[in-house]
Amino acid sequence: MEKQYDIDTITSHILKAGVLTSLSFILIGIALLFINGQGDHYTLSQIANFNSTFNSRFIPLTGILPGIIALDGVYYVTMGLWILIFTPITVVFTALYSFTLKRNPSYVVMSIIVLFNLFFAMIVVPRLLI
Amino acid sequence: MSAVLFILAKFLLIMAAGIIAGILGSLTGLGGATVLVPLLSLFFSVPIIYATGASLISTIATSAGSASAYTKKKIANVKIGIGLEMATTAGAIVGSLTAVYVYAHNFSWTIYVIFGVVLLTSLIPTIHRGKYEEPPHKQADWWTKVFQLQGSYYDEKLKKNVSYTGVRWWLAELIMFFAGVISGLLGIGSGALKVLGMDWAMNLPMKVTTTTSNFMIGITAATGSTIYWYEGYIQIFIAAATAIGVLIGSYLGAKVLVRITNKDIRWLFFAILSFLGIEMLLKGLYLGKFIAFGPSTEIFISSVSAVLMITGLYLHQKRGGMIGKTV
Repeated sequence: MEKQYDIDTITSHILKAGVLTSLSFILIGIALLFINGQGDHYTLSQIANFNSTFNSRFIPLTGILPGIIALDGVYYVTMGLWILIFTPITVVFTALYSFTLKRNPSYVVMSIIVLFNLFFAMIVVPRLLI
Repeated sequence: MSAVLFILAKFLLIMAAGIIAGILGSLTGLGGATVLVPLLSLFFSVPIIYATGASLISTIATSAGSASAYTKKKIANVKIGIGLEMATTAGAIVGSLTAVYVYAHNFSWTIYVIFGVVLLTSLIPTIHRGKYEEPPHKQADWWTKVFQLQGSYYDEKLKKNVSYTGVRWWLAELIMFFAGVISGLLGIGSGALKVLGMDWAMNLPMKVTTTTSNFMIGITAATGSTIYWYEGYIQIFIAAATAIGVLIGSYLGAKVLVRITNKDIRWLFFAILSFLGIEMLLKGLYLGKFIAFGPSTEIFISSVSAVLMITGLYLHQKRGGMIGKTV
């Protein structure tokens, strides 16, 4: 029983699912950018310019949902990239859950520290830099 | 219409760079990003900021892609990985913040220099890696018991269960912190340092080391990526192309790797990587106004030194015996 649904197998599935979902969003996003010829009020050539000043800093994450409904390629790619970022984070959550079930306190604490670092980078650091 | 085709060609070109980086990265064991950053910044004139941003995010894709296979086979040790991630994630925060400082003060030439040095120095442990499958047995220490560093896996080649005992956990944590800093600073997975931490410091078998490192790289890169995102180092067009490209490339690389019987061919790849490393170093010194060569002289110097360096390492290994038993 336990062998079938152990942490390794679940981790493996999460990783695979995360990568595939993320890639699908990225591919759809790129296709939409080419079809619409623009995204988020920037032209395709502005978005594609290697020296473009249009970068992640100007893409608010709150715009993802409306952007996806409006079939905006920029936000599909953004969604894909953030799913990619969240994939390994989900794995840490799974590990935390499994360590809790196995009553392994030192590894519960360690997983929490890793998650703390991840969310510190995500939430606290950007506010310190602005 | 032709403008759209031109942009499409640009996308495919960056994707192709990603594929090449993925193949070379997995064949040498250094990871796609280590090849991608020099390719993009030296040959595609992508600003180093965007090159590292795209690489860091692509690193997550390859790490997750390959780790999904290894964790299922129970070779990667998730427990040891999570424990060491405390240090790599903290290091990644420090590294990315250092990158923010460096770019804000126009010191980006230092990124080229550090990149070149890191690439060249990580080639050496990578070349010497894998001389033995099982590490010499070491007595369990205090850390082994407290952090439950024992484990085992089934080795398909040896057709037996290999059990191992991890030691010197504190030393590995220290090395992992630096691996994290390098990852956040340069936008790479810094797998070579992670392997050093587990192979040399903790005395783990090579297979456990490489697969656990692969699993860890994604978590480290995710930490740096969020800071890169808010700072605007990620140009989504480039990042989209490289994420797809590197993933395809490392998948192909892993397939090819199984078929390569003549291990000497790997030396050609090592030569290409050392060329890229020296080029990065020279470009950094040029941008920092320490040297003033023309581009052709720069390529000449890089090629000659790359050939010399790899020939030297090749002869050194041949003399030392036990070559070709890698991977």
